Amino acid sequence: MKAELVFLGKRVDMAPRTHRQTMVILIYAGLAALMTAFWLLDRWHTSGVYMIFATIIINRLFFGGYNYGGLIKPFNSRAPRTHIDPPPFLVLGLRLYRPEPDERDYRNDERELAQRDHAHYRAYQAISVVLVVVWFLCSLRLTMPRLTSFLPISADALMYGLTLAATVTALTLPQAILLWTEPDMPDFEPEN
Amino acid sequence: MPENTKAKDAAGESGLYNRISVLRAERGVSRQQLADALQVNYQTIGFLERGDYSPSLKLAFGLSEFFDLPIEVIFSTRPFQPLSEQVYGKSRQAPANLAKEQS
Repeated sequence: MKAELVFLGKRVDMAPRTHRQTMVILIYAGLAALMTAFWLLDRWHTSGVYMIFATIIINRLFFGGYNYGGLIKPFNSRAPRTHIDPPPFLVLGLRLYRPEPDERDYRNDERELAQRDHAHYRAYQAISVVLVVVWFLCSLRLTMPRLTSFLPISADALMYGLTLAATVTALTLPQAILLWTEPDMPDFEPEN
Repeated sequence: MPENTKAKDAAGESGLYNRISVLRAERGVSRQQLADALQVNYQTIGFLERGDYSPSLKLAFGLSEFFDLPIEVIFSTRPFQPLSEQVYGKSRQAPANLAKEQS
């Protein structure tokens, strides 16, 4: 895990656990607000997919885990792709050069791998609960459709919302658990 | 060194006591240098020193080889005896008590 987040050119110290916990709360509050806004906008008919895009951007900028950006190193410990030749975006004038990565920035050591596995185990349990709720709703709808008619929103919309929330959670929860549970990071000691 | 004393006194979440910070300070090795030698993150060295992480056997042997000491000298399930007590048989005394004794 990186101890520092660079956001809009500003360096934010993420070594204290409280800073990371605040960030996790703010991000999930933002995602919940966005999901509510999309519901009010068009009942997720077309905007639902934008929740997935928002989640991918959040992972890229803050959480990490699946790519080179964000606080958590890539879960697969693979080096990011680098271009030997100038990248195709150069033609478009978009200077998307990426500095040659240091092995420390993407390789997880044994402690990080253990923490990663534990975070996935806990996230898996939480997501399973949502899946059970979705299954239960589907089952009610099939066997006792009258019961679901009392819901303030249609059962289909509710199931879609729950599935969307579960997908967003599945993409972000392991990283959030890591950021939430990792203790304050030891200070960096410059080389003697 | 307050940090060393803290690391020595507290087993942390792992329940394992260690002397890594003392040995590192003794040999003038930074966390980064030790981390590079053991191929781990410097933060892992910090977590090990604080007792927040139990190392694998491979890492424990790596530390043992690096410091050229047996594993039981570096790690223990019981608090380590202070060096002064171990070598000179003296227990810890507050500086005020020492000054009284000397006068």
